[in-house]
Amino acid sequence: MRITVKLIGPFIQLFGFGERELDVPEGTTADDLIALVSIDKSRPKIVTRNGRAVVPGETLAAGDRVVISPIYSGG
Amino acid sequence: MNGWTGQILRVNLTAKTYKKETFSEEFARKWIGGRGFAVKILYDELAPGIDPLGPENKFIVALGPIAGIPAPNTGKAVVAGKSPSTGGYGDGNLGTRVAEQLRKAGYDALIVEGKAAGPTMLVIQDDKVEFLPADAVWGKGTYETNDWIYAAYGKAAGVLNIGQAGENLVRYAVVRSLEGRAGGRTGMGAVMGSKLLKAIVVKGTKPIPQADAAGMKKVGMDDLREVHRIDKEAGWSIQSTNGVLAWCNEVAALPVRNFRKTHHPDAWKCDGERLNNARIATYGCPNCTMRCGITIHDEEGRESELDYENVGLLGPNLEIFDLPAIGSLNYLCDDYGIDTMSGGCVLSFYADAIDRGAAPGGYKFGDPAASKLLLGQIARREGEIGNLLAEGSMRAAHKFGHGSIDYAMQVKGLEVAAYNCKFIPGMALAFGVSPIGAHHKESWVITFELKQSVRESYGPEKAQKVIDLQRIRGGLFEYIVSCRFPWIEVGWSLENYPKYFKLVSGLDWTLDDFWTISDRIYSMIKLFWLREYPGADRRMDYPPAVWFDPANVDTDGPIAGKHLEYDKYDGLLQHYYDLRGYDRRGIPTKATLERLGVAEEGRAAEKFGKLT
Repeated sequence: MRITVKLIGPFIQLFGFGERELDVPEGTTADDLIALVSIDKSRPKIVTRNGRAVVPGETLAAGDRVVISPIYSGG
Repeated sequence: MNGWTGQILRVNLTAKTYKKETFSEEFARKWIGGRGFAVKILYDELAPGIDPLGPENKFIVALGPIAGIPAPNTGKAVVAGKSPSTGGYGDGNLGTRVAEQLRKAGYDALIVEGKAAGPTMLVIQDDKVEFLPADAVWGKGTYETNDWIYAAYGKAAGVLNIGQAGENLVRYAVVRSLEGRAGGRTGMGAVMGSKLLKAIVVKGTKPIPQADAAGMKKVGMDDLREVHRIDKEAGWSIQSTNGVLAWCNEVAALPVRNFRKTHHPDAWKCDGERLNNARIATYGCPNCTMRCGITIHDEEGRESELDYENVGLLGPNLEIFDLPAIGSLNYLCDDYGIDTMSGGCVLSFYADAIDRGAAPGGYKFGDPAASKLLLGQIARREGEIGNLLAEGSMRAAHKFGHGSIDYAMQVKGLEVAAYNCKFIPGMALAFGVSPIGAHHKESWVITFELKQSVRESYGPEKAQKVIDLQRIRGGLFEYIVSCRFPWIEVGWSLENYPKYFKLVSGLDWTLDDFWTISDRIYSMIKLFWLREYPGADRRMDYPPAVWFDPANVDTDGPIAGKHLEYDKYDGLLQHYYDLRGYDRRGIPTKATLERLGVAEEGRAAEKFGKLT
């Protein structure tokens, strides 16, 4: 299935892309996706799926837009 | 007294006199500095009901025990007074060399009273205080004024100054310092202007009293290097604060078209990545190794320093997505000394009011040229509309009528920061209960809401988180007087601050000790408001009505069809009051005041409003 991954802020420079479409297997979770784009699991981040924060182990669906952002604190 | 100089400089502009006053160790330990000093002094010395733009108001510059000492990121000062925008307690902080220079001159705070006979520059050099004419720069912008001062006193001098907006008593005029820093969006620039005080210049040469100066120097310098290393590793300052713009757009929290929309397909044009690509220089405050200021060339080719708040509110909020155009609006605000956040909200409110037939005029969203002209008219209070918009969105809405107050994006008269809370209950609460009117500096809770809670919740966990953040952001960092960015943006441990405090003062305090100070100061600010608005109730702590409006919901995106709900918000507000020990009006109870050591101040307030 095809999904879109968007990185936010310094993750763009640190991980080498801003937005990318990916083909992933059915049943892929948000955690799987983070590993797939080589983001260190321990790095603080917030992951949203279609604008809403994901819960651990949440399964993705075709057409999802997943945004991976560092934790911002509002300046 | 280690940790404090033990002196406050009191200046009277009317009489051109000054005196040095000492304060006790008890005062220092109870109020620490910065916001703590400011609210205690203003509460004790201002008669309720005074005109904030009259000579009776006082302008305070207050520092804290680690202010000005090399350590992460201590080059900040608090400016305070009764607010012309809210009529309540007002303050703000800004990066400035005044932090170090005023302490080296021998003072932890400066109190400016009265009104000068003509435009004045106050010059403080250790024990010497001069009242010099500032006619040469009266009517000039902050950049030219800054250059004029630097030419006379050098770039190492601490400088605070105002532009035309402060001179003309624009209610959201700020105080400016350095080349790109501003503070006091509650109208502290107008307070200076009302006193005909164009600028303050400070130079000091004395050592700052410290319990372990050598230890503090080593720890401070080591920690500055470590914060720099962590920032480089995390990459935060690549996009600095504007990194959050793209995230706000994704999670439907971006202000677009006077907060009518929460996201926009063109937002990427002014996001952090584009800002970093356009970067021509980087600015920071004194004692900072994670410099957040990104400058770009604006439409006129000038250097304009941008961050998220001014991009969000002068950009998408006005449906302007072109960075150089946003840069021009930001430059004008900085030069006139207009708060960029309130400036953006006032312009967006005016366009919205015209759009809805509540106000006359041809100003529209998406028009940078007309926005530039309007900012100039506001700064000069030129014409009927410039003069009215200089009063801020709340007062303009009262004039326009037709229900426009519902979409004047303000709380208590202070415009909101760049987070659209159409469906973010906790952040709406943070704006509602901010002690100076809507401001993000007190508590920024959105990430918690989305990650540790759920967006739909109006539960006590959000009220508790707002309080936790207020204790740190609106408390600790505002009275110890230091920038919160090392902690919030790159994870610098809060435990470092008791460590610094011990090195300078010799006092071995825990963070819990500091949270009591934070709560005491918040209660004092509440008492200040009670004296000014004795009949007010919890509705003063409500966010803008448009966020509750079913007719204003998003039609697409993550929060389509959603809006805040009054009953649920009121319940969330009650959670906050209960956790804080406030009554149903949002006023600290007698028991709370007793617990926090301010029962006497409470009794003074009872002449004006009842305590329970």
